[in-house]
Amino acid sequence: MTVTKIVEIPLVLEIPIGPQHPALHEPLLLKVYADGEEVVRVDINTGYNHRGVEKLCEKNTFYRDIFIAGRVCGICNTVHANCFVRALERILDLEPSPRAKYLRVLAMELERIHSHMLINAVMAEILGFDTLFMLIMRDREMVMKAKEILTGNRVLADYMIVSGVRRDIDETKRDRLLSILDKVEKRIKYYRKLFEEDATINLRLRDVGVIKDVDASRYALVGPPARGSGIKIDARASDKYDAYDEIPFNVIVRKEGDSWARMMVRWDEALESVSMSRYVLEHLPRDSNAVPDERRLPRRFPPGETFTRAEAPRGELTYYVLSDGKPKPYRVKIRTPSFNNIINGGFAYIGYTIADLPAILVSYDPCISCMERAIVIDLRNNKKMYVSLKDLVVGGRK
Amino acid sequence: MATAPSLPSRLDFLKDYVLKTYSMKPNRIIIEVDSKYVHKVFELFKERLGFPNFYISTIAGTDFPKENTIRVDYYVVVLPEEQTIVIRTYLPRDEPKIASIIDIVPGALAGECETYDLLGVYFEGNRFLKRAFFVPTDVVEKGIFPLRKDSKV
Amino acid sequence: MKPSLIKEVLRNLFSKPATIQYPREQTIIEPDFRGRHYADLMKCIGCSLCSIECPANAIKMVKIPEEYPAPKKNPRKIYPVIDYFKCVYCYRCVAVCPTRAYIVTNNYRLASFKRSTSEKLSLETLKKAG
Repeated sequence: MTVTKIVEIPLVLEIPIGPQHPALHEPLLLKVYADGEEVVRVDINTGYNHRGVEKLCEKNTFYRDIFIAGRVCGICNTVHANCFVRALERILDLEPSPRAKYLRVLAMELERIHSHMLINAVMAEILGFDTLFMLIMRDREMVMKAKEILTGNRVLADYMIVSGVRRDIDETKRDRLLSILDKVEKRIKYYRKLFEEDATINLRLRDVGVIKDVDASRYALVGPPARGSGIKIDARASDKYDAYDEIPFNVIVRKEGDSWARMMVRWDEALESVSMSRYVLEHLPRDSNAVPDERRLPRRFPPGETFTRAEAPRGELTYYVLSDGKPKPYRVKIRTPSFNNIINGGFAYIGYTIADLPAILVSYDPCISCMERAIVIDLRNNKKMYVSLKDLVVGGRK
Repeated sequence: MATAPSLPSRLDFLKDYVLKTYSMKPNRIIIEVDSKYVHKVFELFKERLGFPNFYISTIAGTDFPKENTIRVDYYVVVLPEEQTIVIRTYLPRDEPKIASIIDIVPGALAGECETYDLLGVYFEGNRFLKRAFFVPTDVVEKGIFPLRKDSKV
Repeated sequence: MKPSLIKEVLRNLFSKPATIQYPREQTIIEPDFRGRHYADLMKCIGCSLCSIECPANAIKMVKIPEEYPAPKKNPRKIYPVIDYFKCVYCYRCVAVCPTRAYIVTNNYRLASFKRSTSEKLSLETLKKAG
């Protein structure tokens, strides 16, 4: 019998994951090349959400830029604004009052709590555990309320201004915040225990997407992905900006390096943030005015440059601001944590199954709008592609 | 600018390549290096410090049309004390080319791709560089690098 | 079935739902929530500072119509009109105003089919006075 048909099966199957909502509801395209179920290569395509914030900052005045910086990312807006405002303070040589410093820390830590709760909820959803997603989101609402009490809006705080904050709190607000923190802490402890013990979560996350500490620093990962791999990077501890030098806290580091470790780092950090927020509320300095009169702030910015780092919920956030003495900044360079984590982090997917991929992506805590204020494209994989022939052969005849 | 800070003793291996050092607020040390030696400097970083003792935080390019240069800053964070070191180099604006360091530090990839896309700094040896993944493709078709000061976007 | 599950079921059976029936029931918000704001034209001096400082370019300076009596301290007879669809509610205008002319509310229900601006609200402050 002669051969009449040859069926060729492609060795590597290309599967687009995204650009519509690969994990979070944000646009990002992961081009996955899979050999059977095994991922052999991932190309990360970005550019669906580019807004050109850096150019926009060059076209606006310094004070308008504070609010533009806050809108780079919705979830971590106070950290963005804080980092930019501190850069301006370095240029102007101003120092906020102690009370303002404490309040800034409070706003940023509340933000960290709700950001970490959000990503853990999304992780639960990705794992098919929708009830847990609903429950965490319900309890996250309490933190949003706390932020509303403190800053005047649930999400976009617009809380930072040069040499201070834009609102102060009184005793009643302080007591309400404290009681919210008590409730939130109980829930976070419960969820942490759940993530630690639940069989489904453990099966889906343990030993998935393992990153070694060497790789984490080589690929410049920051934030919980780095700390989950045993690398201690925390701009709060090293730069000691604002009131972080006075507030006691621990830097959470885990050795495992898998997706589960990254999520646990987040829960532990959320607990740490609760106790920091409580410390701030109990030790709030009373002697100084936290809210500067925005009508009297300096209008002229001297020439100078500065590079500030802040620890956003997703990792190290950096702002480089160059002023040439004009009313507008000469250059603003924003490097968000997701920018490093997502674009460089493609190597961690290799060798795991397609079903693991969303779980690994979520464990990086991607924030696409953060990442794409400046684009990037890239084809990842400096490692050797290990395409195994597996058992696929040319069919048709034995 | 404050007086020239001295290099931390751990970074002594860099001293042959340093043109000058100065500091930037708050507490960052800038090391100016000839663009020829950037690759060599990072090779030394890898050799002497090794992973996981440093990482590349970001690469920032700035356009100076008056001086006809493009400045490229590599922000390196040295662990465990997390000190930020800036490796600064200047490139001619007409032909901004520099050796890519992704073969040594793959983490520089995001920064290199971004700098190429926004400022047109060509990193030789980085095969992942690509235009058009940029903002809208119509901007790319015009051959504009949006963060150059003379470009109108 | 685990006993803790039964407890959870019973508790949730009798607890209030976490969501509310929104248009029928109002969301409880803070009195100092950053909501709709507009200029009080009895205080406004037409300096345009809010319009310059607005990060979203949502404020336009507009001539006060003839039929309204413009206050004397507003020599250029202009007043700010906020486009609520552009506004990001950062309250920068409220904070930079040299005469504290902005009236702030915590009204967050701003969705509408038509373009909504602060024109009517601001002009009403003049009418009441005149």
